[in-house]
Amino acid sequence: MNDKLSREEVLHVAELAKIKVTEEEIEKFQVELKKILNDVEKINDVKGYDDDILIAPWSRKTTLREDKEEEMLQPKVVIETAPRHSGNYIEVPVVISEGVSA
Amino acid sequence: MRYLNKDIKTIHELLKNKTIKPIDLVNEAIERIENSTQNAYITLNKEEARKKAIELEGKEVDNILFGLPIAVKDNIITKDLLTTCGSHMLDNFIPIYDATIVEKIKDKNMIIIGKTNMDEFAMGSSSRTSYFGAPRNPWNEEKISGGSSGGSASTIANRDVLFALGSDTGGSIRQPASYTGIVGMKPTYGRISRYGLVAFASSLDQIGPMTKNVYENALLLNAIVGEDEKDLTSARKPEEDFTRYIGKEINGMKIAVPNYLMSDIVSSEIKDSIKETIEMLKKEGAIVEYVDVKYLENAVTLYQIIAMGEASSNLARFDGIRFGHSCENPKDVEELYYETRREGFGDEVKRRIMVGSYLLSGENAKDYYNKALSIRDDMKKEFENTFKNYDLIIGPTTTTTAYNITDPMDDPLKSFMDDVLVIPVNMAGLPGLNIPVGFDKNHMPIGMQIIGNAFEEAKIYQLASFIENKLNLELNPNGGEE
Amino acid sequence: MSNYIPTIGVEVHVELKTKTKIFSPSINGYGQMANSLTNVVDLGYPGTLPTLNKEVFNLAIKAATVLNCKIRREMHFDRKNYFYPDNPKNYQITQARTPIGYDGYVEIEVDGKTKKIEIEEMHIEEDTCKSTHRGTKTLLDFNRAGVPLIEIVTKPCISSSTEAKLYLEKLKELLYYCDISDCKMEEGSMRADANVSIRKSEKDPFGTKVEIKNIGSISNVGVSIEKEISRQEKLLENGEAFKEQTRRYDDKLGDTVLMRVKETGNDYRYFPEPDIPFIYITDEMIENVKSTIPMLPNERVKKYIEKGIPKVNAEKLIQNRMLSDYLNSILDSNINFKIAANLLLGDISAYLNKEETVLNKTTLTTERFIDLVNLMDNETLTSKNLKDILNKVMESNDSIENIIKESGVQNITDDSAIKETVKKIINENPKSVQDYKEGHDRAVKFLMGQIMKETKGSVNPKMAMDILIQELNI
Repeated sequence: MNDKLSREEVLHVAELAKIKVTEEEIEKFQVELKKILNDVEKINDVKGYDDDILIAPWSRKTTLREDKEEEMLQPKVVIETAPRHSGNYIEVPVVISEGVSA
Repeated sequence: MRYLNKDIKTIHELLKNKTIKPIDLVNEAIERIENSTQNAYITLNKEEARKKAIELEGKEVDNILFGLPIAVKDNIITKDLLTTCGSHMLDNFIPIYDATIVEKIKDKNMIIIGKTNMDEFAMGSSSRTSYFGAPRNPWNEEKISGGSSGGSASTIANRDVLFALGSDTGGSIRQPASYTGIVGMKPTYGRISRYGLVAFASSLDQIGPMTKNVYENALLLNAIVGEDEKDLTSARKPEEDFTRYIGKEINGMKIAVPNYLMSDIVSSEIKDSIKETIEMLKKEGAIVEYVDVKYLENAVTLYQIIAMGEASSNLARFDGIRFGHSCENPKDVEELYYETRREGFGDEVKRRIMVGSYLLSGENAKDYYNKALSIRDDMKKEFENTFKNYDLIIGPTTTTTAYNITDPMDDPLKSFMDDVLVIPVNMAGLPGLNIPVGFDKNHMPIGMQIIGNAFEEAKIYQLASFIENKLNLELNPNGGEE
Repeated sequence: MSNYIPTIGVEVHVELKTKTKIFSPSINGYGQMANSLTNVVDLGYPGTLPTLNKEVFNLAIKAATVLNCKIRREMHFDRKNYFYPDNPKNYQITQARTPIGYDGYVEIEVDGKTKKIEIEEMHIEEDTCKSTHRGTKTLLDFNRAGVPLIEIVTKPCISSSTEAKLYLEKLKELLYYCDISDCKMEEGSMRADANVSIRKSEKDPFGTKVEIKNIGSISNVGVSIEKEISRQEKLLENGEAFKEQTRRYDDKLGDTVLMRVKETGNDYRYFPEPDIPFIYITDEMIENVKSTIPMLPNERVKKYIEKGIPKVNAEKLIQNRMLSDYLNSILDSNINFKIAANLLLGDISAYLNKEETVLNKTTLTTERFIDLVNLMDNETLTSKNLKDILNKVMESNDSIENIIKESGVQNITDDSAIKETVKKIINENPKSVQDYKEGHDRAVKFLMGQIMKETKGSVNPKMAMDILIQELNI
């Protein structure tokens, strides 16, 4: 097994995670991430499992809520918790790419 | 006069007959914590705790937990009280709501004394990944107090307060409890509402009580369990008193010891101590047998995949938009994300988010995450089978005793291996508890783990209190202080 | 004529008409003050967890039923992970692997033939928050965050813009009639995306797929598909290859504009939502929902025609659900439905439009409406006279008969009074009488006109005609 991820692989996962990595960090993560990923490969040694998956142990049935409203937050509270706001809105710097909408 | 090193019945009596007031306990706790070098707390709730204590003077002492200070791990949301998760990302985060468990302890008129130190976002096994520095072990300040609930373990071991809350995703209550010689319970998944527990790995996280003895642990559990309509993964169970088997004999109890838990990965000092306890139990009439439990050796791998996968998604909400840390003057939203998360998260968290993202990307989700969920299901069934023949499972909690705070942190696998014996319990969603059973040659505590079938915490407490009584160890690191 | 065959698939998001959001008990509302309809769950605050609104499942089961889908009985949710400011948790809770409905269809009429538009799947998910771009900033309003959506995905089985439009109209009609959604495209409670590709022959593999997103109206769906087809044709004719891409329809340009080219496909890192255990749909839930499904538009048209309403009016009636529901509530009564339909589509609609009101805010109860229809049927009231008393009919609680009496518009049904008028008209128009006797039928029409004029239309025309013929033949 390789003991290092490639630079591109580190940059790719950093992009997925939306974390900026510096040049020195790239080298560090090449080694560290690979070390964890090599360990994770042990999953391939496990045999004999099926398609059943376990999502939430011991609470396997969801109860549904009645369609009744409950108290909501004041807009003032919502925006004051946010680092940037204007008027009743939470503000973010301009979004460049047109994103994916639901 | 010291009160907080006494047992709960004594203190409760003193409160009831008005010999002492809640404010006396609060003042004692604050004084101890402020003068300590433990670094067990991130935030001390000084003024509010005192205010609450004085408020309580007009109220009737209506339950055994009334007026008692409690320490809350800093990943549990407390309204109007800084909640950092041990991270720079939330070092300015003052929540606008209470976790369900916080509402419950407030209903009992317990007093939140402060928020305890922890590994950043509960990721770590020594609390050294905390943005606020590592808490120390009261048995030896050079040593770690374990993690991620290291602050809660430290403050309980030091007898600052009677009660603390921890959270356990892959051993984070039991392992620090073992390192500090206290009792720590991770209840069955679903026993306690997770609403207001900042999620690390949703399908594994569970809050639990940390105390100096078994009885107090069961009492706190009584107060914090229950189905919560705000948490769909919480379980509906009839009310029960978790202290009800405490003091009962263990004659005829069938106990399994998985061979893997006593294999070469465990230090011989710890194995010896566990074996001694096993001999004692046999002598007292318990049937103890060594068994093979499949998949135990795979648990860490499953944990890595599931916990990091879920964490990468759970921690995506920390983006500098609605709350928490936000970088200065980002030129666009991409920079806001990248910079905020670079600045806000520490290395351990970054590693786990990146690995988790990788494990879920493209075809990997199928090859790793779903496969892990499936093996996890099999592992749960394997435990269920074991419990068809045995009441409880026991083994050591940790492979070594607490190590030095200054030990190197350069191995990214170390934090997983520290938890190798406690992780299987989270995988299967079972209850597990640490009970101190001895000391190593440096007089650092050794812990035994007791694992029960789902929702059989009461049975765990029965065996734990039996061992506690029989061994009668001096578990106060400050010795015979008075 | 084009040398290419288009292949079109349509994805529709509709907001469900629930009182509260899908994962929290905040109000599901539109047009309120920014950030006034939220709680800590909608904002994705640390520590919060989703709960599930039962009504979302009721409406989704209803939708699956009317879209002829199979209903899944055991399902979970999945997380779709992507960073975007309108996505509070930076993951969306959706159903990627276990959509609640699958293998359905909607029938449309194309050139007199019925075509089944096949539905691949429909799933439940949460809406994002609303973002408004202002210069160097984007403003976020989380009122819409967590509003329940169903996404309905067709197979690539649509072969023209007309079919796409007919499908959307039909879908809208069904969902609207079942109270599943308001389906207001202008308010965003219904949103459509279209996937368009073209190829030379059915035997060829599908061409490169282009997705057109967030089209604001059904007619624009048609226009954008047309534009996209001809754009792709031109490119292929010129031998230019193009990549899979996402475009949007620009209303001002009247054309589609490139949003982004797909690189390697989005990596959404789907995995099962661990905060929500399995959900089981019981027979009981399905039966309960089925009993709430009203008569569907197709069936209504059929019924109306059976009741004697001309097809054109029957189809007009279902365009307006309020009128159709009103009529349906008296469908068992024994009245002249042709008159009833004329009244609803004519004078009553005109009144409602003018007064900007709705039927149940007027005094026209179904009982009074039935009286009105009967009084017109036996010609006590003419449609001309109705206009004079319409306001009273709609605004007072008085019986229709009283209103007619008091306003003096009642048809003259008194024999002798009519006879007098008829005689007068005959005397005044000897020329026409002569014409009649010479066999010119139009003379009767003229004389009737004169009689109506004389009586200001208040005479029962049938009686007047009978008497006129009598008198002319004496």
